[in-house]
Amino acid sequence: MIPEGSLLAAHDLRKTYGATPALDGASFSVHPGEVVAVMGPSGSGKSTLLHCLAGIITPDSGTITYAGRELSAMSDAERSALRRSDFGFVFQFGQLVPELTCVENVALPLRLNGVKRKAAERTAREWMERLEVEDTAGKRPGEVSGGQGQRVAVARALAASPKVIFADEPTGALDSLNGERVMELLTEAARSSNVAVVLVTHEARVAAYSDRDVTVRDGRARDLEHAV
Amino acid sequence: MTLLDSRTAPAAGQDRPQPPSRGAATLRDLGLGIRFAAAGGREGWIRTLLTAVGVGLGVALLLLASSVPHMLDERSARDQARSETRISGSPDTNAPKSDTSVVRINTTTEYHDRTIEGYLMRADGTAPVRPPGLDRFPAADEMAVSPALKELLAAPGNELLRERLPYEITGTIRDAGLRSPGELLYYAGSDTLTPASGGHRIAGYGDTRAGDPLPPLLIVLTVMVCVVLLVPVAIFIATAVRFGGDRRDRRLAALRLVGADIRSTRRIAAGEALFGAVLGLLIGLGFFLVGRQFVGAVEIWDVSAFPADLVPDPLLGVLITVAVPLTAVLVTLVAMRSVVIEPLGVVRRGRDRGRRLWWRLLMPAAGLAVLGFTGRVDEYTYAPVNPYLIATGAVLVLVGLALLLPWLVEACVNRLRGGPVPWQLATRRLQSSSGAASRAVSGVTVAVAGAIALQMMFAAMNADFNRMTGQDPSRAQFAGYSEDVTGEAATAAIEQFRATEGVEVVIGSVQAYASKPGVYAEDDVPPTTSVTVGTCETLRELARIGACQDGDTFVVHPPGDKDMSQWVDQAARKGKVVEIGSGYGKPLRWTLPADSPTVQGRKDPMGDTHYGIMATTGAIDASTLPGAQITAQIRVDKSVPDVAEHVRNTAARIDPGMRFVTLDSVERDRQYASIQTGLQVGASVVLLLIAASMLVSQLEQLRERKRLLSVLVAFGTRRTTLSWSVLWQTAVPVVLGLAVAVAGGLGLGATLAWMIHKSVSDWWLFLPLTGAGAGLILLVTALSLPSLWRLMRPDGLRTE
Repeated sequence: MIPEGSLLAAHDLRKTYGATPALDGASFSVHPGEVVAVMGPSGSGKSTLLHCLAGIITPDSGTITYAGRELSAMSDAERSALRRSDFGFVFQFGQLVPELTCVENVALPLRLNGVKRKAAERTAREWMERLEVEDTAGKRPGEVSGGQGQRVAVARALAASPKVIFADEPTGALDSLNGERVMELLTEAARSSNVAVVLVTHEARVAAYSDRDVTVRDGRARDLEHAV
Repeated sequence: MTLLDSRTAPAAGQDRPQPPSRGAATLRDLGLGIRFAAAGGREGWIRTLLTAVGVGLGVALLLLASSVPHMLDERSARDQARSETRISGSPDTNAPKSDTSVVRINTTTEYHDRTIEGYLMRADGTAPVRPPGLDRFPAADEMAVSPALKELLAAPGNELLRERLPYEITGTIRDAGLRSPGELLYYAGSDTLTPASGGHRIAGYGDTRAGDPLPPLLIVLTVMVCVVLLVPVAIFIATAVRFGGDRRDRRLAALRLVGADIRSTRRIAAGEALFGAVLGLLIGLGFFLVGRQFVGAVEIWDVSAFPADLVPDPLLGVLITVAVPLTAVLVTLVAMRSVVIEPLGVVRRGRDRGRRLWWRLLMPAAGLAVLGFTGRVDEYTYAPVNPYLIATGAVLVLVGLALLLPWLVEACVNRLRGGPVPWQLATRRLQSSSGAASRAVSGVTVAVAGAIALQMMFAAMNADFNRMTGQDPSRAQFAGYSEDVTGEAATAAIEQFRATEGVEVVIGSVQAYASKPGVYAEDDVPPTTSVTVGTCETLRELARIGACQDGDTFVVHPPGDKDMSQWVDQAARKGKVVEIGSGYGKPLRWTLPADSPTVQGRKDPMGDTHYGIMATTGAIDASTLPGAQITAQIRVDKSVPDVAEHVRNTAARIDPGMRFVTLDSVERDRQYASIQTGLQVGASVVLLLIAASMLVSQLEQLRERKRLLSVLVAFGTRRTTLSWSVLWQTAVPVVLGLAVAVAGGLGLGATLAWMIHKSVSDWWLFLPLTGAGAGLILLVTALSLPSLWRLMRPDGLRTE
């Protein structure tokens, strides 16, 4: 059932919110360093699939395997630890802690992993430089533009050296120019670091940065590789 | 045809409405604000309800406070209506009888630390006067009881009380005859009571003697208690009005986008605040009306009140009705001065400039100046005290402290750097917006500062109100006295005490007066001293007696008092006759043995020094003494259950009118104790109210950050990390607030102590109150954790 060599794979996931089914037998897989776009219309279950894959929510049924470990068999604390150490996240908006400076935001996952403040901020600055937002280091999120904020979020997602980055509509709140720059930087940085990216989007322009597309419709993911 | 096809444009402004006048625009905007508050959907309702409930709680407390004068007046009126009018010349046996006069004796007793007021009454004629609340005069061995006493008597486990009051209950005392619903009171009938056996004759009820004026120190204390309890309530109301302010500002920004100007947004906000405050007034009135129904079940200051007693003072009621909505609008408008509501969002201003200190110091300084100007209060001359000036000074100091707090919190948190993630999250949050935290804590600061100042005053006044009695409870825990009893009855009484369960020692003596026989002119006083008869053991407790055998007698001098010793010797002449009696009836002639040694007196467990003639029971048969008085000082085995009640039952059996007291080394003034209890209860209620306000503010902030919390959870943030962050976020401002409270409270307390000519005896009094404040931190954090954990669920990430 698990595609060979896959880092993260899900099989037959089902999840309902009340009477509304969000996932109805979805399957998915991603390899190390691979960028996979999860596409589909609004309300199709894309974000729910991403949240299940990241261990943020647990599916009602189905299996999720990460690096040979069954996610659904893990406790909440174990899944939280996994998210701190192996996963990174980029969301559409409202993700940066408004009171922390940008460099402190980027350093936050490292600090949550127990890295000392100075070392964490040194690493954070390196990633910010790579994502071309080093000049925002001392500013608060409210003082930077949307594109800069999103690049800070990407830097934060990459700072803790994750194996997988989950990006939920990362360019949804940006204009096309900024959106494309964010996608370029995200995919380049991920590929160069052999980080897998699960990219939820409904824009074909954004999905074009991926290696592979998965379409979710009515809670079912049509994962071409998985079907093979 | 479209407009573009038209050759001519429509006539400009032909149908355009005229801009409304300023008054109309104000009304329209206020109305719009009211509509937002009343029909703003679920979010709007939550905000309005939070404000209204907050304001309502404050209003209910204010209404309660404004009802206190009426409550005290009613209570005092009922008290006066039942106070007896004694017949001139009473309580002697010659007081004239009438068809309506009554002989009665106070038989008040204590049961399990509660006072049960009681009277034994005997009618002289056929139409005896009745105390208020009584439908008929109780016949012999019957009694009318208050509802609370009836309940107590009927409750299981109170057999000893039923034994003490062995009368048949034939009536219930109505409210008109009670000070408060919880009062324990009874009137029992007797057919044997006479003035000779201790009763006194009364003509009626409703003695109109004026009560004692409140001592000046108590006026200062009372004013301070009111200020200390009510200023935090006012601050709480001001805080409640700002609940949900951020959300409202965002809504106003949306209105700016569609063309509302800044003035309009302010008026709309004022309309919203007005609605919340008026709704709060109504809710507060509701809380008050519902709460007063249960007021009878609450006992503060040893008493409770009838619901009908709680009627707000009309003037104060009007003031509350006007001031609360007005305050709400003013607070809202002032709060909006610190933000700029733009069409694309809300910008906070003044961050770079920082808060200024100098003007914040003006108010407490002015307060201290007013107190200084008021001058010192003289406790002895009963010179009039101006409570308004004292209240103004104290209010200025306390409100000034609340104004100092935002500056201090901002100045301190801006200097906080580094630290672990929870600390960093908390301090950064406080750095970005310390105003809300300061507002929430300002109530704690004021309440604690005021309470510290009051406690210091209490400590300084301690010696005035808590008298060292000189009693020694290690030698005896109870004392009973009965006067004008026969010697026979007196000796029997002492034996009855000795036979009571749990009694270890009875220092029981029978006293009478002994005087030098002779014929004296009318204005001459014959040399007189006391004769005390008891066992050797008893006499040793009263005088420094060495060897003693039954049949011995002693002449006892008061230690260190030569004049009195000489006076004793003039009456107690060794080998000569003395006349023993009370002045009525035939005295007993008795010869003081010539070999009676002279010894020094000593203090008995009551703290009284005895002197005169002391005789063992073998020397004088106590049962033959006319007009004797029993004194029984009783030591008990405290391990015997209900030993105090057994002893009191014996006392009641011997003589229902026996004065029976519990010995204590310190006697606390009842008014002082009442005010202290009131302060403690009030401070607790206020602190809880403030905790509620802090909790609402905390929950509101958490709800605002729902999405951010979900994001933090998404990348693996531990629950403990965020919980600690919430704790620090509460703790930092509270600790700073407590620091201001301690400094301000000690300053105010020292000033007040100076005003009343006292020195501060204990500078460490702030510790328990500071501890209570610290308890608030834990309480608020603990109560906000469930909400935090609920918000940490990933639902917040869902956008569809």
